[in-house]
Amino acid sequence: MLLELKGVQKRFGGVTALRSGDLSVDAGEVHLVMGENGAGKSTLMKIIAGLHQRDGGEMRWRGQPVNFANPVEAAQMGIAMVHQESLLAPHLTVAENIFLGREISNRLGLVDRGAMLEKARKLIAEHRFPLQADWKVDRLSPAGKQLVEICRAIQHGTSLLIFDEPTSSLSEAETHEVFKIVRTLRDRGTGVIYITHRMDELRSVGDRVTILRDGETVHSEAMSTLSTANMIRYMVGREVAALYQREPVPPGEELLRVHNLSAPPSLHDVTLTLRAGEITGMAGLVGAGRTELCRAIFGLDHPSNGQIWVAGKQTAIRSPRDAVRHGIALIPEDRQKTGLARELPIAWNVTMAQTPARYGVLRHAAERDITKKAIDRLRIRCDGGGQKAGRLSGGNQQKVVISKWVSRGARVFLFDEPTRGIDIGAKVEVFEVMDELARQGAAILMVSSELPELLQVADRILVMRQGRLAGELPGRTTQEAIMRLATLPSSETELES
Amino acid sequence: MKTVQRLLPFITLIILVIALSLATPHFLTATNLSSVVRQTAVFNIMALGMTLIIISSGVDLSVGSILAMGGLMGTMAMAKGQPILVGVITGIVTGGVFGLMNGLAITRLNISPFIVTLGTMGIVRGLALVVSNGLPVHEIPKSFSYLGEGTVAGVPFVLLLLVVCAALVHFLLEHTRLGRYTFAIGSNVDAAIYAGIPVKFHTTAIYAIGGLLTGLAGMIEASRLMTGQPTAGQGYELQAIAAVVIGGGSLRGGEGSVVGTLIGGFIMGLLANGCDLLGINPYWQQVIIGAVIILAVSVDELRKRRAV
Repeated sequence: MLLELKGVQKRFGGVTALRSGDLSVDAGEVHLVMGENGAGKSTLMKIIAGLHQRDGGEMRWRGQPVNFANPVEAAQMGIAMVHQESLLAPHLTVAENIFLGREISNRLGLVDRGAMLEKARKLIAEHRFPLQADWKVDRLSPAGKQLVEICRAIQHGTSLLIFDEPTSSLSEAETHEVFKIVRTLRDRGTGVIYITHRMDELRSVGDRVTILRDGETVHSEAMSTLSTANMIRYMVGREVAALYQREPVPPGEELLRVHNLSAPPSLHDVTLTLRAGEITGMAGLVGAGRTELCRAIFGLDHPSNGQIWVAGKQTAIRSPRDAVRHGIALIPEDRQKTGLARELPIAWNVTMAQTPARYGVLRHAAERDITKKAIDRLRIRCDGGGQKAGRLSGGNQQKVVISKWVSRGARVFLFDEPTRGIDIGAKVEVFEVMDELARQGAAILMVSSELPELLQVADRILVMRQGRLAGELPGRTTQEAIMRLATLPSSETELES
Repeated sequence: MKTVQRLLPFITLIILVIALSLATPHFLTATNLSSVVRQTAVFNIMALGMTLIIISSGVDLSVGSILAMGGLMGTMAMAKGQPILVGVITGIVTGGVFGLMNGLAITRLNISPFIVTLGTMGIVRGLALVVSNGLPVHEIPKSFSYLGEGTVAGVPFVLLLLVVCAALVHFLLEHTRLGRYTFAIGSNVDAAIYAGIPVKFHTTAIYAIGGLLTGLAGMIEASRLMTGQPTAGQGYELQAIAAVVIGGGSLRGGEGSVVGTLIGGFIMGLLANGCDLLGINPYWQQVIIGAVIILAVSVDELRKRRAV
């Protein structure tokens, strides 16, 4: 037994990220860790890699109880992690990043760039990565950065390597290369922990699987005996999320029309209409231009071409301020960075888009009133409007972001990945809020990479591919139909239709 | 426990007062206290503007230079025969104009406040020297000294000015839309933009207000020295920043208060005064004050980390 965790706990402020994490990894196995967003996988991995310290539970390394105060201590034991989001120094070269913190020095104690470059080149050639050792890292694509992280981990001869969704940003060919590396490492006796969301990947690399749900380990079994249906059942657990299905209402008047919107290179001739009462889903691969479309409609980016009509009137939207004035709301995909002022009270976040004031002087009573209504209406679980927004759980933070627009009386809602990083129960609540908004006459665009969620919530689904609308599907379509539209080259779809 | 930690700057101030009154009989005298008030009023008024700027997650390094420029323009107006009131207003408006220019440069050129105000710190100081030919302005009406040295019913006039300014800025910060937006911009500027807040307009306004207060501080300084000095106010920007930070303001933005800043300012003033009274070598004073800044901020960080 290489690594064993029992009942590991971790809290962040009031939020419990991990209630009881169990995991045991042998040398020479690929151990898959699975679970929904927010199930606690990443937290568990970061505890193993020394990035977080556990609040409770046991951790043993080769039978000995261990405690890693920082990643260096974990690395000294031979544990390395390839991160989901790149943790590289962007202004250094590929070689310098591979050897970061363990530079090769010459006899004078100076950094030996030549030797580092040479070793890095050999490593890259050995795995046939599309990299050059002297490239600056900030020029690389997300996939390239991922490969650098992998090189770094391999170079330092680790006995346990953690991959946190390594292929989410990689191409097909690069993914295969990663699999090959994973298998080579396993055959050499390295333990590999592998986190992924992609079902198709599992069977090709995994030996055993451990499933987390709501911060707890719920199941662990050999990959060969576990059926996919059972795996999903363990992951989803409560059936509520899977069973939620929105009852569509007949769409009303047109609230937003976008005509031939272009913002090269990410958007080309996008035309769509959003109606009151309707939830329009939008699917597409990462980089298909969905976020860019939301940004362009919201006035954050400036389209080179195209018109926008709001409630039947042609409108120029040059800034978010214009968009907000016309009743358009954006719930951004990156809640922490662009949606929420974490350090400020809930009340201030709720009223941020419409601070009640007379002659510039705040009306505190009105603000309390608006906040109280928002908390009741969206069922935000908190200690009151004075609590800092950053202390809330992901789902409740999202509700605060939404309430900002509800209080403002927005009528067109652009939801960009509305359920990212929130747990299953809260997802359903977010769906319910979206449904309620639609019923009260709002038009909703729901961008999501979670196809099952789109199928549950959307009345119809638009699919984007390479900056263009690839097609429209009814709400009760299949994941396969969406993926076909999202991935096929345009000529083939045209033939089909 | 939490309240105790939040009140820490205030408690420190009280302890400082008690310690100093026990240590030396010269401390708790009307003369000494009013001299402390006069000494601290100048950079306390500057620090009020700096509070707004730091909460918006900015910084203004040019306040020392703007203070000199404000004082200079005001006294030059008086030297040219303008009434005192016109002179004072000239000084305040001069400060406001340079603050406005800082704000415009930051928001329109999209350069970080640190860089812009580092530049204007030099530019404004240089302009002050050019305008005055490097020479102080002395031809000032005698009664102008009332601004910095006068009393109303035994209370220093500058203390009244400070209280009025502090009340105004406090009201601005806690009870107006501008104040609310200052917090929003400082806490998460992207979220503020996404919420449709006119971020550029309000950021510019914040620097302009900081400039007005600095202009007033410049006139008080000129009145205390009875000269318009192109070299006045050197290093004051650090004093003002320190007052804000000791009072709980965060250079990351989104945090700070007027009351905190005033306490921070008085702690700095009392430390300097205490060192003087106790005969501590002025070279050591700088060491002590520097150490207090670091200590105050690290205690504050510790409190926040534990709170999370």
